[in-house]
Order: sequence, then C-alpha cells, then structure tokens
Amino acid sequence: MADMTPTAPTRPRSLVIASAFGTGAVLAYFGGLFGIYFSIRADAMAWGTRWFPEGAIELAPGGMNMATMAVSAVTMGWAVHSVLNDDRVHAYLALALTAVMGIAMVNQTAFYIADIGLPIDTSQATTLMFVIVGSHLVMVSIGVLWLGLLLLRALGGQDTSRHRDLVSAAALYWYAATAIYAVIWIGIYIAK
Amino acid sequence: MTTTDSDASGSTAMEEAITSTDPVTLAKVWAMGGMTAVLAGLVAGLLVSLERLDLEGAGIFGSGDELFQFWSAHRVALVLLGVLPMLIALGTTIVPRQCGANTLLFPRAAALACWTWLIGAGMTVVGFLVDGGLGTPDGGGQRQATALTLMGILLVVGGLMVAIMCILSTIFSGRAAGMGLGDIPYLSWTTLVAGTIWLGMLPVLAANAVLAYVDLRGRPAIRFGAEDAIWEQLSWVFTHPAIYLLALPVLGIALDAISSATGSEPANRGVLLIATAAFGFLSFGAYAQSFFDTPGTPIMEEAIYVLAAFAIVPVALVVLGGVLDLLRRGGSGLGPRPPASVVLSVIAVLLTVAGTVLGALRVVAPWDLLETSVTGAHFTLIVGAAIIGAVAGLNHWGQELLGSPGSPGMILLGGLAASLGVVLIGAADAVSGFLGQADFTGVDLATAGYPGSATAALNSISTLGAVAFLVAGLIWAVAGVKHLAAEPGGTG
Repeated sequence: MADMTPTAPTRPRSLVIASAFGTGAVLAYFGGLFGIYFSIRADAMAWGTRWFPEGAIELAPGGMNMATMAVSAVTMGWAVHSVLNDDRVHAYLALALTAVMGIAMVNQTAFYIADIGLPIDTSQATTLMFVIVGSHLVMVSIGVLWLGLLLLRALGGQDTSRHRDLVSAAALYWYAATAIYAVIWIGIYIAK
Repeated sequence: MTTTDSDASGSTAMEEAITSTDPVTLAKVWAMGGMTAVLAGLVAGLLVSLERLDLEGAGIFGSGDELFQFWSAHRVALVLLGVLPMLIALGTTIVPRQCGANTLLFPRAAALACWTWLIGAGMTVVGFLVDGGLGTPDGGGQRQATALTLMGILLVVGGLMVAIMCILSTIFSGRAAGMGLGDIPYLSWTTLVAGTIWLGMLPVLAANAVLAYVDLRGRPAIRFGAEDAIWEQLSWVFTHPAIYLLALPVLGIALDAISSATGSEPANRGVLLIATAAFGFLSFGAYAQSFFDTPGTPIMEEAIYVLAAFAIVPVALVVLGGVLDLLRRGGSGLGPRPPASVVLSVIAVLLTVAGTVLGALRVVAPWDLLETSVTGAHFTLIVGAAIIGAVAGLNHWGQELLGSPGSPGMILLGGLAASLGVVLIGAADAVSGFLGQADFTGVDLATAGYPGSATAALNSISTLGAVAFLVAGLIWAVAGVKHLAAEPGGTG
C-alpha cells in the first residue's frame, strides 16, 4: 500500500515573508527615530550641552528589561522548536512564558516612565526618549497580543509542524523587538 | 494564505464595496481615490500659481500661512494621496496576474489597508481645510487641525505600507512555480524594487510624523512639533531623491505597455532589470533630512546626495534606451495611431529623464538652486511623469481591470494636455529658479526672492501649465467615470 502521509507543503512561506516585510518596516521606523536621536545627541554633546539631567536615567530598570527581553527571545526560540517538533506541552509553556515576559517588560517600563520624574516636554532628549520607548512599548504590546493568539491556536491544536508559519512569523517579529530594545538599552539607558 | 471572500448575496453595492476583498474592487477604490486626490492637488496647485501672479495683492489667500497650507497640500495630495494609490491600484490587480498568482495574498489585510488609507486621506484633507496642514511658517494655523492632519498622514502611511506588504508578499510567495524574480514582467519588477524602498522610507516618514505629533499635543512644542518646523521634517519625501521612486513603476509600465503593443521584447532585459533596480536604490531618500543638519556640511551638499542626483541620470537614460530600442524594433507595427498607453508611457519616460537632468542641475552648489523654484519644477516633472504613466498603465490594463477598453481617445487627449501642462510648469519654474525665485514664494516679493523681474511672465506661463494640467485631470476623471459606468455587470 502506498504511503498516504501527506507531504509537507512546498509553497513559499507567505506569512513569514509578510512578517519579514512588516518587521523590516518596523526596523526602518526605529532606524529613523534612532537616527534623529543620535544625531541630535551628538550635536548636543559637541556643544557641551547636558543631554539628560544628572542621575535622571537609572541603569537598573533598563538592564532588567534587557534581561527580560533577552530571556524572552530564548523562550520564543523554544516555542518555535517545540512547534516544529509537534511538542504541544512545551509549545504552550514557551509561548505563555514569552507572553508573560512581554507583559512584565511593559509593566516595568510603564512603572519607570511614571516614576522617572522627567516630564516629556523637559527637552528634546526627553521627547525623543518618550517617543522611542513608547513606540517600543506599542511594539511589544502587539507582540504579546500576537503571542496570545498563537497560544489560543496552539491550545486548539492548530500550531503544528505543518502549520508553523504563524509561529515563525511571530518569532521574527519578537527577535526584532529584542534587538531594538538592545539599541535602546545601550543608546539611552547606558550611554545616556 | 487567506482566500478571497465571495460576494455576499443580497447586499447593496455599497456594502459589497466596503466589505469586498476582491482585488479589482479594491483597485477601483485606490484608483478613484487617487485620481480624486490628484484633482484636488491640481486645484490647490492652480490656486497657488494664481496667487504667485500677484504677490503684492494677496488676492486669493489672506496670509502667507494660508498660502503655505495650500502649497504643501498640493504636494501631499499629489504624492501620498494621488500617485502612490494609483500605482497601488495596478499593484493590487495587475501584478498578481503578471506573476501567475491566483489572487493577491492577504486580501483582508489589503482591504484594511485600502480603507485605512481612505479614512486617513479624508482626515488629511479635512486637516488642511480647517486651517491645519503640516504647519505654517508664522505659526498661524490651528494646532488641533495640524494634529488632525498628522494623524491623517499616519493613517495614510499605514494603509500604504500594509498594501505594499501584500503586493510584495504576492510577488515573493505567490508567483507561479518555476518563475524566478528575474522572469517577472517589468511592472512587477519595478513594483518589487519600488515597494521595497518605500517600505524603508514610509516608516521613517511615520517616525517623523509621530515625533511631531507627540511634541505638538497638549503643551508648547519643544522643537519637532513647532508649527514652523513640521513641514521641514516631512518635506524630504517630496523632493530629490525620494520623489524619483514615484516614477520607477512608470518605467515598468512603459516597458510592458510598449512591449505588448509592439509584440517585441527588449533585447537587453538583464541590463534593464539592473538599471531599474539601481534607479530604485538611488531613490532612497530617508537620510536626506535637512531639518536635522548638524554643524558641518548640510546634507544637501554631502557627496551622497549630490552623487545620487548625478548617478540617476545615466540610469534613466539606459531605461530610455530600452524604450527607444523597443520602438525601433517594433514601432512599425504600431500603425499611424499608436495606442494611448504607448504614447503616454513614452512621454512619461521622457519627462522622467528630463526630471533627472534638472535634479542633477539643482544640486550644483555654485548655482544655489536648492531653495528656488527649480525644486518645484523638479517635483512637477517627476510627479507629472508618474501621473501620466499611472494613467497610461490604468488605460493599458483597463480591459483586464474593468472588462472594457474605456475611452482611449479621452485618455490620450488628457495625457497630451497633462504633458503640455507639466512641460510649461517645469520649464517656466526652472528658469524662474535660475533667476532666483524661491520655491515657496510667500505673499510678497521680498519672500519670493526677486524684485519684480522677468519671472512675472514666467509665472504666467506656469499658471497656464497649471490650467492645462487641471483640464487634463478633469478629462481623465470624466473618462474614468464613463469607463466605470460602462463596466459590464455593474457600476463598480
């Protein structure tokens, strides 16, 4: 009897391609903001102007967020690997953990923004910082919603090795969110 | 992959239009919306041109701020609300067919993009009309209305980006098996290149708009949201090199339309693919933001900016060579009355080449032309070429889009009027620029940069050109409405 197991689809992975274009657009957005931020900052530094008030930007919150995002990138990879191997229990765990870390990152950033004591209209630096950090919060929030959708699909048995494109697409987006935060962490929290 | 919904039975034409994910229906919305915006932009351009005739009287606009709002609305309407949507109409319908795809990938996302753009376009227009716009030189506009305009621009940019993502995904993932990227027709190829570059530039425009919006709202602006600074942050999209990207799909339209009409293929396909790709990459302009110039050489005098302006001329000439080669080898088959799409697409390519030459002259530092009306002439030549080329494309594929050929005679008549208008505006404003007339003249002679010289006569010629261009837009609008009304099986 011939083997009736359906072969894996060979059609190009349209969801991943679309996610790559979308993620590329997000990277271009942040590229524009970072370009403006570092350009004006370099100008201010050249003139000897203080960029942020002394002690205004603390390292710990940014560092904790960076660690959270870095670990979440690992758990996202775990989710992709689990889905690829049809390991549903690990996929549930990995997707849920990634989403929880995303929520934790949003919570931590929102708390710090409220606590920082720097009004948005203090200077160009604060306006830019709030726009960049706020935009990244929106990006992570969208990622968390996407992960929630994936988790629901996984619970319904729809995220499998044959239908893994949505997970791979979300992973691409999440890795980009982590990479962008790395620039924020170095450029804003560390370099100040 | 999401499949296209079938039409719901028992729903009204309006319900079908709004809920449809059919690429042809979406393309009609993009094309009609784009054409309407082009008409609005041409009206704004004509009013500004009339005001420029009498800079002492200020007969049409009460202040320089009002004039500025219409002057900037003219450019926004033509680029973001006009030409790009018309090109997306072709990308939504024709590109999937050229690539052998069953349909556009992600049709629901494409529908979301279309309606997001339309709502954003409406907000943008309203923002301009209620004394907002993208800031004013003297800060005389309404802040809330300016915020509304910025929000509209963000929705427009968002809609355009999602639509472009759907088209690019279709080219990459949906094309027929065995068809390589190098095998796709020229319109699809140029759309692929232009779309990729737009996806790199539109988000940067969005970043500029978000920054201005956040700074504008609720309190005195620090810098980015200051009324006299908003336009300068966004203006890079409406000038060299970003503006060239509008003309890139037009080059693809010309090559496909002429190739189809003459029945011959370009002998040097590989060269043309490379040339059009180079044209796209030389058009990347997100870096050219003079507002953020730091001490040292201004960005518009940097080598990369100047080099791009000169390098794009031979690239455009290579594409023109391909077009002329096609006409040389197959032109005899066109007969005494060549199709309107062929005539208009050849004109569009010629105008594009003329625009690139003027763009190169514009950056020659000793002539100091960057702030003069040469910039406006350059804009008119390239955007005019894009509009004429897009109309040529809609005419060429009209049969596939609407099932009937439409009115090629009216399309041709409108195209010739538009060409006349573009040439008159481009030539007159270019010469005025060399005489020192400012790009934005304001409402007095001092701001305009000249003491009542020969530019008055040149401005009259430019105004005649604006009239001709507007007449062309009206002819095309009538032809489009007739075409839709004659569509088999419905009004569209």
